Amino acid sequence: MKRVSFKLLAFSLVLLLALAGCGGGTSTQNQGGTPPTDQGGQTNQGAATKITLKFAAQNDNTPATQKVIDAFNQSQDKYTVEWVQMTNDSAQMHDQLLNSLSSGSSEYDVLSMDVVWAGEFAGAGYLEPIDLFMKDAGLNKEDYNAGSMASGNYKGKQYTLPFFPDLGLLYFRKDLVSAEDAAKLESGNYTYQDLYDMSKKYAKQGGTEYGFVYQSKQYEGLTVNVTEFTKSFQDIKGGLEMMYQFTTAPFTPKDILNFTEGETHTAFEQGKAVFARNWPYQFGRINGKEDGVTVSVDQVGIAPLPNGGSVGGWLLGLNKNSKNMEGAWEFLKFVAGPEGQKIMSKEGGYLPGFNALLSDEEVKTANVMLTYPGFQKALASTIARPVSPEYSKVSDTIQVEAHKYLSSGSGLDQAVSAIQAAIEGK
Amino acid sequence: MKRMGFKEFLFILPALLLIGIFSLWPVLQSFVYTFFDYRLNDQQKAGLYINERFNTDLFQETALYIGMFLDEDKKNITDSADLEKVNQTIKRLDQLAKAYKGKEKVISISAEEKKEMTTLYEETASLVSSLVKKYPLIHKEDLPALTEDLKNSIIPSNFIGLNGYAKVLSDERVRIALWNTFFFTVVSVFIELLLGLGLALILNKAMVGQGFIRTTSLIPWAIPTAVAALMWSYMYDGTSGIMANLFQWIGLVPDSRDLLLTGGGAMFSTIFADVWKTTPYMALLLLAGLQNISGTLYEAASIDGAGRFQSFFRITLPLLKPSILVALLFRTLDAFRVFDLIYVLTGGGPGGSTETLSVYGYKVMFAQSNFGYGSVVVMLMFVCVALIAIFYVKLLGANLMEKN
Repeated sequence: MKRVSFKLLAFSLVLLLALAGCGGGTSTQNQGGTPPTDQGGQTNQGAATKITLKFAAQNDNTPATQKVIDAFNQSQDKYTVEWVQMTNDSAQMHDQLLNSLSSGSSEYDVLSMDVVWAGEFAGAGYLEPIDLFMKDAGLNKEDYNAGSMASGNYKGKQYTLPFFPDLGLLYFRKDLVSAEDAAKLESGNYTYQDLYDMSKKYAKQGGTEYGFVYQSKQYEGLTVNVTEFTKSFQDIKGGLEMMYQFTTAPFTPKDILNFTEGETHTAFEQGKAVFARNWPYQFGRINGKEDGVTVSVDQVGIAPLPNGGSVGGWLLGLNKNSKNMEGAWEFLKFVAGPEGQKIMSKEGGYLPGFNALLSDEEVKTANVMLTYPGFQKALASTIARPVSPEYSKVSDTIQVEAHKYLSSGSGLDQAVSAIQAAIEGK
Repeated sequence: MKRMGFKEFLFILPALLLIGIFSLWPVLQSFVYTFFDYRLNDQQKAGLYINERFNTDLFQETALYIGMFLDEDKKNITDSADLEKVNQTIKRLDQLAKAYKGKEKVISISAEEKKEMTTLYEETASLVSSLVKKYPLIHKEDLPALTEDLKNSIIPSNFIGLNGYAKVLSDERVRIALWNTFFFTVVSVFIELLLGLGLALILNKAMVGQGFIRTTSLIPWAIPTAVAALMWSYMYDGTSGIMANLFQWIGLVPDSRDLLLTGGGAMFSTIFADVWKTTPYMALLLLAGLQNISGTLYEAASIDGAGRFQSFFRITLPLLKPSILVALLFRTLDAFRVFDLIYVLTGGGPGGSTETLSVYGYKVMFAQSNFGYGSVVVMLMFVCVALIAIFYVKLLGANLMEKN
């Protein structure tokens, strides 16, 4: 009996040690000190061993991203790029990337980032600066979209190239809106109140149900829309009141406070809304006659938003801990360069981030939007979201306060002062 | 009770170690984080630094950049004395960078090394600012920003002691989240208890199709919470949601979109979804208790002339007390820690009116990567959960822990 109990004791101790081995180790630091080396597949067997690169990018409503990746994979025989599809909810994608990066993981080689995170990621030391790569490849910063380049420049080092620049636009139904009103919209000389009156006038015409649709769910898109309504926070009170006026209007969808880009493009492209605020990709969807699109391109007009459209867009950067830095750079260079940008622009209706393509005939014919005077106007009148090293916190405050007021209709002054304080960094 | 000798102690040692590793260690770890301003997205705060450290990675990268940019700007510097200074600086940066090559990312440095760094930074900064004033440099904006990073490679201590706790007590959002959490917990657990008890009594009756009823009533509990929450979010949707329109039709809400888009409506919606999901679980726990009550007690009571109500209140409830307390303890802790249901259904919205402590903790930790303050919020949760557990175990049911 005694012997048995001793065996049991010994066994339980061994088991315990094994368990302790699993549960004890926690690291509090990301050790990224290993120099980037190529993976073991680098033998001289030619094309048989391609190095796989992981590209973390958001889900694309258009075929563009997949086509760019295919084009790169066919353009050389050293690397294969795999697309790790992330969610379209930008906040969730941010958290996912942050989780992976802050643990020092080399899981992703090339990252797609919203313009508002690039500074945060660069400051945290997650990204590899690309100036040296650019210098060796003979690339000039001036060749790329200036706004995007500035968003990816942190403390003098360049960390990103543009994936696609973006700006907020007003889409309207050319076939319903009178010529006079269309001219007014395209000139940009109108207010949100004018837009409200027009929405009232045209809603329910030509089979539509709604007037103006935009993004008002509690997420990053709300921050963007608040920026536009308040004219980049110059008139917070007036902007929020205007938003509330739209929220409660009879011609606004009942659940506008749950609207993201997805609901917006669905409502507009299925002919349910006369006006919509969205990014350029919506035009690509309509132009490409994606599933469920019932309006045709010639029914769609584009105008600048009353106070100008927010600058947005996505950037490409390199994970500092990537084990295939050379390959990652090759892919980055390809996507942001003329070839990749042309595909993005032709297949997805994205705005090219490589400046020379803005006047490229092929891009222009594929991307009719570039020839619209309203679009050119919008390009010239962009506004920026608040700039802050603690951007996600500022944006979170704006979302919570604005949504609280819009969903209840009370507490306007409190929301205004809270947003004001957040922007001033208090 | 025998006195415990060494051998007997060896037998409980594994249990003690297990408790230490799996329950106390992670809590201690979080507890340590609370004393630091620990933020992963700031290179000067991305670790627990009680004393000063040096970020060799950042220093090398920055030195390389300053060298490169100064080199590119040499052609704009006409004065030979200035040029000499520039060459000197490039050389010194280079030497220092080489000295730290191949070291770990972040290392401790001595006071002398730190002094050397600081003087180098100061001299470089003054040189750069004089050059920028004097010549039309290409990198007139980048160079001053870069020299700042030389200073940032020296990492100051980020130990803040109890400041995090002071901040959490005055944080308005924590106050709101705490209230939301308590409200959600108390209301949903109370309703679940009533409904669960009712369901358990029904399930306890011997009737036709008993197995089928027990199985089907468990379906809500079997669906993963995140999936259930997504399902409910479609059903609550103001335009097309079937539940939302049903509630409007029976007059429960004046307008179907109030459910997810007003504070009260969203709180009601989350509680309703939680009750739907966990009532079966409550019923199951109580059913186990009911089955332990022997039928002879009821027979004896009915012979003594007790009615249904009397036998329920005099026999069922007192004997069910331990089961009820266990069920309440489980559910209260569960509801207090609620995360997935709310995160998927409302994301804490609208306007933070359904944000619970765990959702706020998640936002601070993962969205803002502020692990120091996030840990303080988590600690607050830990204290609340511990209080709840103590409350149940001590005040309500000393019999909970008794073996008989």
